[in-house]
Amino acid sequence: MKRRALALLAVVALLGAACGSDDDTTGSDAAGETMSSIDIDHILSADLAACEEAPTGDPIRVGMAMDFSDVVGFVDIPGSKLVPYIAELANCRGGFNGRPVEVRVAEVGDDAALATEDLLDWGAHFLIGPPFADFALPILQTTGGEVPLFVAASTEPTLADASINSYLVTFDDHQMSGAAAQWALDQGITRAIVFTEGEGIPYTGVNPDAFIAAFEAGGGEVVSVQTYVWFVDTDFSSQVNEIAQISENNEVVFSAALGFQVTALRGQLEGQGLDSLTYVGTDALDATGIQVEANNEGIAHTPHTSITAGDRIDSMLAAFEAEKGEALESRGFMALYVDSMFIGIQGMLDCGCDDTAQIGEAVQQISGFQGLSGEITYEGTNGIPPKAVPINRIVDGEDVLVDTITIK
Amino acid sequence: MTELAQNLIDGLGRGSIYALLALGVAVVFGVMHLLNFAHGELITVGGYVALWTLGAGWSWYIVTPLIVLSAVLTSLAIERVAFSRVRGSSDFTLLLTSFGVHFVISAIFLLYVSASVKPFDRPSWVTNTYSVGPLNIEVYDTVVILVTVLTLIGTTLLLQRTMFGLSLRAAAADFDTARLMGVRSDTVIRGAFALSGLLAGIAGVFWLMRAGSISPGAGITPMLKGVLAALIGGLGSLRGAVIGGLALGLAEVLLRSRLPDSIASLTEGVVFLLIALLFIFRPQGLVTVKHAVRV
Repeated sequence: MKRRALALLAVVALLGAACGSDDDTTGSDAAGETMSSIDIDHILSADLAACEEAPTGDPIRVGMAMDFSDVVGFVDIPGSKLVPYIAELANCRGGFNGRPVEVRVAEVGDDAALATEDLLDWGAHFLIGPPFADFALPILQTTGGEVPLFVAASTEPTLADASINSYLVTFDDHQMSGAAAQWALDQGITRAIVFTEGEGIPYTGVNPDAFIAAFEAGGGEVVSVQTYVWFVDTDFSSQVNEIAQISENNEVVFSAALGFQVTALRGQLEGQGLDSLTYVGTDALDATGIQVEANNEGIAHTPHTSITAGDRIDSMLAAFEAEKGEALESRGFMALYVDSMFIGIQGMLDCGCDDTAQIGEAVQQISGFQGLSGEITYEGTNGIPPKAVPINRIVDGEDVLVDTITIK
Repeated sequence: MTELAQNLIDGLGRGSIYALLALGVAVVFGVMHLLNFAHGELITVGGYVALWTLGAGWSWYIVTPLIVLSAVLTSLAIERVAFSRVRGSSDFTLLLTSFGVHFVISAIFLLYVSASVKPFDRPSWVTNTYSVGPLNIEVYDTVVILVTVLTLIGTTLLLQRTMFGLSLRAAAADFDTARLMGVRSDTVIRGAFALSGLLAGIAGVFWLMRAGSISPGAGITPMLKGVLAALIGGLGSLRGAVIGGLALGLAEVLLRSRLPDSIASLTEGVVFLLIALLFIFRPQGLVTVKHAVRV
């Protein structure tokens, strides 16, 4: 009897070990590499007219706290349309371990905390939030750092803090502008003119700061630092007059300005005869349709994702348009929203849990996740994934990838 | 000296647009005591007209009158839909109504058009320059200054030489007495809104030519500049609005150029500081407006 009991115990132990080893395949291996159990391409290829059996398990709840104002709406509005569609596709493929994905969008409006509470009361397992500290910080204060927050479209380094479960999904300002500086130096340009809103000002000052640091570290010289008002200024007469005094007509002009500002500045500089300058911008140029602007030939920028016709991001956006009858704007940002959802789900699969704090711990261990926007690793970081920065340039009227630079 | 002359031309170009905006604000304020915070929306609407028509391949020669027309019609529509309902209400009610109109128009474009900045082609001549001695003068600045001068002459003739102008000036001095003297309030108020729209439309054409883009919130900056210039000049004074606009434009350009690099980013702040100082010593603005006082 005693032997029989021991044998039974041994069988149960073996079965347990076997199950455990299965779990490991969806978690992290000994080297810390995340074994992605999410086949993104398989999900994106789902045919909504011919779905697999609907998942019936407890839902995975994705909360989206989004800003629909004219401040962030240019990315959050299309992002909040795309993610539910991708969830539809995932559910069409049977969900994740038999669990469907549910997405709820709450507009932050004037009260990001209230929107966040709504999502937490609903039972969100993780959140996707808007860029800019004004919107994201109240969300973090409400979650108390207990719920993973993916600040999908942001490059603001101050918004990343793994200790309070706040993550960027793309490179940060330092990587982005460092890459821009490196690219300019690689072109043999040694003089720079930089436009800033002021030292240390989030995004519009931090990016120029980072560019200056990287450019000078690489042996370049910043010959002029000009100020302007982001989003507002389109008359750069004063700055252009000053630049005309010192320019050798061979500098790189860097700013985090929007596309229509860069082309306005360029027009005024060219009006002064400075027609051999090189222009480099940041990811802000993604949002403002520089691809369709006149006078943009040769302008370079650092998009979040470089999309080429027929690649999987382009195909995803085309499929959305075909299904929903609407073309999404701010295309370069869209993969980040989708990746935010998949990374959160990956965290849940890795920990095999529904507890938000445990999901956060699992997210912090994610390494080598093959996302739609590139490889994403949080392990050993403070929530900023080290990603390669694409350098795009307008060539013959087309926005094309000309380089990819990784800043360590 | 050359740099100063260059700055003065740049400042006059910028200030001319502000003057047109401020004049539109002042005209409506004169007859209704309404500080119209929806004034910038006339440019927003014009901007979307430009976006769609330029996108359809139309030239700026055709688009320009359409922008002006859209601003006039929008101004009249706003008066009809919103301000006519609160006519005679307190200044505060009027102010809040204008904020409401601003938010509603922005939201309509945000929800039904796009939250994104939408670029369109600028006219090719906008950044062309010509030299006068050591000065490089933008064709754009020259055109803006010339058109502004012509517009101001036209506005002055309208106000001084026509019955409508007389009614408008009478209503601005004392609305109730003007009505007792036979001035039709509907006509003068709608006329004021039409004139305000016309001025905003002309300013909008130049604003949009320079900006080369439009977004739902694009009207905020021109509205702020117009209101600020009207306040500097002396709220309600048409002459003051023009002086205020030019002063604001010159101050922005000169400060931007003259401030040390380390504080150049504070240009806007310094401009506001100067305005605050102005209001300490001349709360009524640069030009004192005389109103009839009921005793």
